[in-house]
Amino acid sequence: MKKTKIYLGLAFMAIIGVVLVAADHIDAPSTAGTTADIADFYAFEPTEGSDNTVLIVDLQSNVDPSLAYGSFDEDILLEINVDLDGDLVEDTVIQAIPRNGKMYFFGPVVPTQTGLTSEVLVDSPLGSIEISESSAIVETTDDGVKLFAGPRQDAFYFDFNQFNLVIGGNAPEGFKDVDEAVDTFDGSNTMAIAIEIPNIMLGTPTAKNALGLDVYKAWITTNRKQ
Amino acid sequence: MKLSNLIYASSYFVAILFFTSCNNDDDFSGDTDTMTDTEVEFSGTYAQVDHMGRPGINTVLSADDETKDSQNTTLPTDMAANFASSFEARLEAYHDVYATLLGADPDDVNYETNILGFDAPTLTGYLAADVLDIAPNLPTTYFNPGTDADGDGRILVPDGDEVGLTGRTLQDDVIDVSLILLFGGEEGDRFSGQDTDGDGESDLPRLTSDGVALTASISDSFPYLSSPE
Repeated sequence: MKKTKIYLGLAFMAIIGVVLVAADHIDAPSTAGTTADIADFYAFEPTEGSDNTVLIVDLQSNVDPSLAYGSFDEDILLEINVDLDGDLVEDTVIQAIPRNGKMYFFGPVVPTQTGLTSEVLVDSPLGSIEISESSAIVETTDDGVKLFAGPRQDAFYFDFNQFNLVIGGNAPEGFKDVDEAVDTFDGSNTMAIAIEIPNIMLGTPTAKNALGLDVYKAWITTNRKQ
Repeated sequence: MKLSNLIYASSYFVAILFFTSCNNDDDFSGDTDTMTDTEVEFSGTYAQVDHMGRPGINTVLSADDETKDSQNTTLPTDMAANFASSFEARLEAYHDVYATLLGADPDDVNYETNILGFDAPTLTGYLAADVLDIAPNLPTTYFNPGTDADGDGRILVPDGDEVGLTGRTLQDDVIDVSLILLFGGEEGDRFSGQDTDGDGESDLPRLTSDGVALTASISDSFPYLSSPE
């Protein structure tokens, strides 16, 4: 019984361990390496005490040259979903979708429908921004919302190769120490969408985190045109 | 490497051509409104294909490809019910790997309640609902191991003096935080490469830090991420 458990565990890890995955980069077979693959999601105060929140979504990655990278896909709608009351249903939504070299933003607005399908919220335009090349083009709307879309350095860091050895049962010592560890994502780039938005536009949360603090509960989805 | 550079260069070449033609349209027409919202087509229905809240959750805790795909098209309201038990099984499977490597009985090396005071079902239930907590009116930190505002000697056991789980900065070491929550036990350092017999060699695996720090350069102004490398 015990040996069965051990062998099953090791075989299981060995199979899983070879899949290239990290943060949300390349996390699942159906989206891995596609233009819809979410790489990362960041949300933070731009400065301490600020009344704004910065939301950054990274799509795609060139950490592996075989992956889709380099341009936003007009068939892919990005949604930033924000739950205010803690029921894990989105109360307000921001959308971004590219057209003809520009990124168009919509919301934040109560979505016309929740669930797994969406339409572009054309009645609630937020603004648009020319998609940048290597130098950043930034737009600030009349409401004080800053917008950006374009290629950027991938700020995610992880010794992913050692992680694979660890979960594969091939690294008895675990992870490497600081002197030997290698950031697999050093030098890689991603297609970033950034929004800096006044909190008042998102609403006031009543949801709590695990420490009892008032928080938005937010998640990113990519959605492909049917 | 060369292939990577080639693909990279090609994509920019296409992008440059594209932007050029777009600008030319404006120039020829003499009408800067040629690309306004009113003339852009946004119709159609879009179906969800990928999901992300916290970093690394689907990656680390989904047991197989089918689960990974399923997680990406599951509503947050259904995630805890659908995935918490399989996440817990995977968490224990990770511990079994190291039990075997350490020559111990896998039944004796299990997840231990972590610095948040979460037992395995509570932690995996919490993580299964894959959303990012963002506090609009507090300093942002995904978690900051080592903070001990009241000086009680605990790394970060919640006792009212902590600010954490308030978002995610570009600098936050989310992998180390995740590893500490999964493998660190109640003091955050359960498997951290300890030399238990004093012979100068590690006797326990180092599982609470991957050892790397931020390598990308970060700007102090919007959009904060730096130009591509």
